[in-house]
Amino acid sequence: MTTARSKENRTIFMLIVGLLAWLVPGAGHLLVKEGKRAFIIFVTIVLTFCVGLYIGSIGVINPVGAKPWYVAQIMNSPMVAVLGHLATAADYSVFGRANEIGQIYTSIAGLLNLLCIVNAVYLAHLQKTETAGD
Amino acid sequence: MSIMPALVIATFTTPEKISANPQSILWLLPLVAAIAIVYKATKVPEIKSANFLKEAMILTGSIVVFMFITALALCALAWLITE
Repeated sequence: MTTARSKENRTIFMLIVGLLAWLVPGAGHLLVKEGKRAFIIFVTIVLTFCVGLYIGSIGVINPVGAKPWYVAQIMNSPMVAVLGHLATAADYSVFGRANEIGQIYTSIAGLLNLLCIVNAVYLAHLQKTETAGD
Repeated sequence: MSIMPALVIATFTTPEKISANPQSILWLLPLVAAIAIVYKATKVPEIKSANFLKEAMILTGSIVVFMFITALALCALAWLITE
């Protein structure tokens, strides 16, 4: 009974860590008490994403015309969907090299955050396993 | 709307002018640094600033050197095919 409950708690904790890590880059690591990692991840991912937006404008987030890029971009945070909606509604079209570089920056930032989400969930799993072992 | 927020919004709603020249490839350098930093942040067992910076710089350098060698090999291959 206790083992089943602790297993359930562990799963819920890992889910919360994953969700938080997606909401705000680095928040998952903060939850598993990895403050330094969380700070580095937050600053680097947000900066990379902002540089992408600076180069290509919010027009690089295009949920209609550039779906594969959008899938990678939305890994940054669900708030990217709001930007995508804004960009589509106001028609911020962008073309050429600025579009390419902007898309690459914002998508790589998203994929890096995906790596961090997986890492945060893994750290949460390790922590809970160690706690259960004590 | 005051000037400062308007300027910030304008920065993110108008794209930069970047020509399609060889210099535009230099935009890869900050991206490679970001990839190396985040990757090392997830990999190193304990983060100590000096050691972490060293590891991230080594990885950044390795990626750039590897890309440079790949570019050279591709250029040589293209030259061999076209000549």
